Amino acid sequence: MSIAWAIANVLTLLLMPVVLVGVINRVKSLWSGRRGPPILQLGYDLVRLLRKTPVYSTVTTPIFRIAPYVVLVTALGSGAIAPLLGGPALASFPLDFVWFAYVWGLGRAAMILGALDTGSSFEGMGASREATYAALLEPVLFLVAGALWLTTGSRTLCGAFGGHVTDGPSLVIWGCSIVALFIVVQVENARMPIDDPTTHLELTMIHEVMILDHSGPDLAALQMGAAVKLTVGVSLLAALINPWAGTAGLPAALFGVAAILAFAVAIGTVESLIARLKLRAIPKYILAGLVASAIALLATTWRVGAVE
Amino acid sequence: MPTVLFAVPVLVLGAFFALAGRSNSQRALAALLTQAIASIAVASAVLPVLRGGSALSLAWSSSSPLGLVVFRVDALGAFFLVWSLPMTFLGTLYAVGYLRAHFDAGRNGGPHFALLNMVSLSFVVIYSVQDALVFLFGWEIAAVSAWLLVIWDYRSQKIRFAGFNYLVSTHVGLFVLVAAFMLLHSKTGSMSFDAFGAYLSTPGRTRGTVFALLGLSFALKSAFFPFHTWLPRAHSAAPAHVSALMSGVIHKAGLFGFLRFALLMGKPDEWMGWSVLGFGALSAVAGVLYTSAQRDLKRLLGYSSTENVGIAAIGFGVGLLGWAWGNPFLVVCGIGGGILHIFNHALFKCLLFYAAGAVYRAAHTIDLERLGGLLRRLPRTGVMFLLGGLAISALPPLNGFVSEFIIYSGLLVGGAPSALANASLVCAAAVLAFVGAVSTLSMTRAFGVAFLGTARDASLHVGDDPPLTMQWPMFLHAGGVLLVGLVPGAGLALSRGATALFQDQLSSLTEGTLLSTLEPVVWCCRLLAGLLLVTCLAGWRLGRNARRQATWGCGYTAPNSRMQYTASSFSAQFAKNFDSFLPEQRREKLPTEVFPQAHGHIATHHVDAVERRMFEVLGQGESFIARAAGRIPEQPRFAFAAGLLALVVIVASLVGGLR
Repeated sequence: MSIAWAIANVLTLLLMPVVLVGVINRVKSLWSGRRGPPILQLGYDLVRLLRKTPVYSTVTTPIFRIAPYVVLVTALGSGAIAPLLGGPALASFPLDFVWFAYVWGLGRAAMILGALDTGSSFEGMGASREATYAALLEPVLFLVAGALWLTTGSRTLCGAFGGHVTDGPSLVIWGCSIVALFIVVQVENARMPIDDPTTHLELTMIHEVMILDHSGPDLAALQMGAAVKLTVGVSLLAALINPWAGTAGLPAALFGVAAILAFAVAIGTVESLIARLKLRAIPKYILAGLVASAIALLATTWRVGAVE
Repeated sequence: MPTVLFAVPVLVLGAFFALAGRSNSQRALAALLTQAIASIAVASAVLPVLRGGSALSLAWSSSSPLGLVVFRVDALGAFFLVWSLPMTFLGTLYAVGYLRAHFDAGRNGGPHFALLNMVSLSFVVIYSVQDALVFLFGWEIAAVSAWLLVIWDYRSQKIRFAGFNYLVSTHVGLFVLVAAFMLLHSKTGSMSFDAFGAYLSTPGRTRGTVFALLGLSFALKSAFFPFHTWLPRAHSAAPAHVSALMSGVIHKAGLFGFLRFALLMGKPDEWMGWSVLGFGALSAVAGVLYTSAQRDLKRLLGYSSTENVGIAAIGFGVGLLGWAWGNPFLVVCGIGGGILHIFNHALFKCLLFYAAGAVYRAAHTIDLERLGGLLRRLPRTGVMFLLGGLAISALPPLNGFVSEFIIYSGLLVGGAPSALANASLVCAAAVLAFVGAVSTLSMTRAFGVAFLGTARDASLHVGDDPPLTMQWPMFLHAGGVLLVGLVPGAGLALSRGATALFQDQLSSLTEGTLLSTLEPVVWCCRLLAGLLLVTCLAGWRLGRNARRQATWGCGYTAPNSRMQYTASSFSAQFAKNFDSFLPEQRREKLPTEVFPQAHGHIATHHVDAVERRMFEVLGQGESFIARAAGRIPEQPRFAFAAGLLALVVIVASLVGGLR
């Protein structure tokens, strides 16, 4: 991996989240007939928050103060092994997707504990939802990664998600993986139709309600962490459709960026056009992802049969 | 070998002095001193074995009925011995502080300390003897001592019942074990394990039967689902250190027995590997689902033992499959990961139970619905519980992650001969991932509800952190959790000898395999730990001038601590999806009118589904079957059609895979 590629990856990891969130918000504004905030609004917000003095609840313990930074570091840590630009990641080793999933898990645990630390019933509600949906979702990521690994023969996140479609069965695997992964990204990042990031009713929130009491630099860390996690998730999807995936070069990078932005537009459009699901229906939505990933896995046996 | 057996008279002597001592401090001292001597003696004797030396052995010719008894400590026995005795020592040390209130009230602690010595003694016997009859003696010493330890508070009827329940269950397991030994004795005419091994290494139907019987017995001992019904009661009734020792140390004897006979049996059949894997996965999932909805902190931790032995069994299943397929890498990852997970579980489970004991000592309750905000009163206990909880959820950079990662590398290496088998192993990996995520839910729930927020019961008076005799066992276990997490070589140093035994026949892989598999992920863990430390410190600095305010009540100005999310509400949404595993028992009288005059009340419990069904079937038989038959819908509905569709897809892909 060349130094230029590494630098490009680091820059993507740090800057793309701001742009991604900006694009999503701009798309949503356009759909609702407004001009919307600048693309880099999240960046301005972060700078402003960093200058502020935080306020802590009298109930909280040091866990509350540490949690946002754990969330940020784990999001960045998962970004280090993701194919951000379609090509090789900053770090890559066999079974790095196991590490990827568990690092997300650590960030989630910190998020939940930070929310419970305030003793607020609303934040407990969000924490409970986050834990529930994440637990139901966890097998999907593994089934997708396992199916892609059995197809490509590569046990790294980059390799498995950067494979190319060659035959009929792998087209099924590929299609089901995209569907399942899209659901993973929606649920993990609390986007529509799971959670409405712009809602103003605490009773219906998941992610936003968990950060109600955070302020100043802590809030900045949480917002950046969430944006990074979203970027990493979307970059996995982008790598799946990237024809130059697996190569470190300008075409891969350009297509990678374009694909990420295209998914941002798609997310913004989805959020503008459909309503949030009822909370009761979310497990069923996740089940759809599970079924898609299970079909992808079963199709791998079909593929081996077809090749032989 | 004489050094190991030297521990036996020392421990007996200690038990004698503990009974004869004049004051409780003398009794405790006798037990602690003799256990320390025994631990050091055993450790010094078995360390060379762990480093790759030859097995220690000693033949003792006694008069009838035992005859010639062979004691032999190979790397497997040495692995279990080297941590079981010191951990029992730490448990005894913890008991000194934990039972202080009882001692002050004049209770004689002698029998309790003597029994803890007997537990240590049973380890020396079980892990070293090569004779079925003596093995059963050791097995029985452990079972009866554990029972007597559980009923420390024998005045409570509930606790006597829990103890009796345990006693019966463990003896059902014993009968099955005796049946297996009798079968083997009838075939070989000998009680020695060597003769058993010679017979078992030839495949056949009897071998399969013996394997099933032994598996059943050891599963009962280690509380696998659905043989776990004794476990939640026993763990919530026993004193904290007894729960810790039972869950973390004593019941690992079941897994030891399994591994010992797997070794004796030699190359297994493929179905054995699959059944162990499936059984382990079932146990892990059921155990972790139970943990998600418990109110009683120790009951929750008890169920998590069922989960963790299941995870170890997933590893063993992979190892046996690898052995059957002749794939040494699977053996190393499966068995090695499973064995390391046993050790890791002992580390963090004891830690969690000790912390739960400290909570009980301070608050006199471990009902999560009443607790809250303990971290401010018990900072050290809280940090220890958090560490144990994160480790048991297999989150990096702690030790649980290391052993699960090794098991994952076995599951996801593609070592199976057919595509379908590979896909099944991926499914097992997905199950393991689900178990990890639910475990995160349970542990964040337990820690978040008990230690964060504010107390949900205003009448609760909480004391302080426990005395040093209770803190040190926690610190040492926490140190182990961190050490194995950041330097897995330290844990593998103990387990690699035992792993190597399983790949004797196909040893082209060296002990470096596991370390080199782990190398990149371990560096990532260390980097993550460093980065977390630096960032959190920086973040801490940014918040140093912070102001303090009340928690934002979303516009409501008079929130109180009863309005916090409770343990039940936290898990309600999750538990609803699995109500066949987690049946909810409600006792309620809800207010009815618009302006209710009378007070309402509601109490919910998640009862053990297996236990309930067991009693239901036993008690109601016929009507139960009638009700089950009534559930089949007359008009097929959507779920039915979806199930049929899924079946078609599965069958189609099976056919595709086979063709």
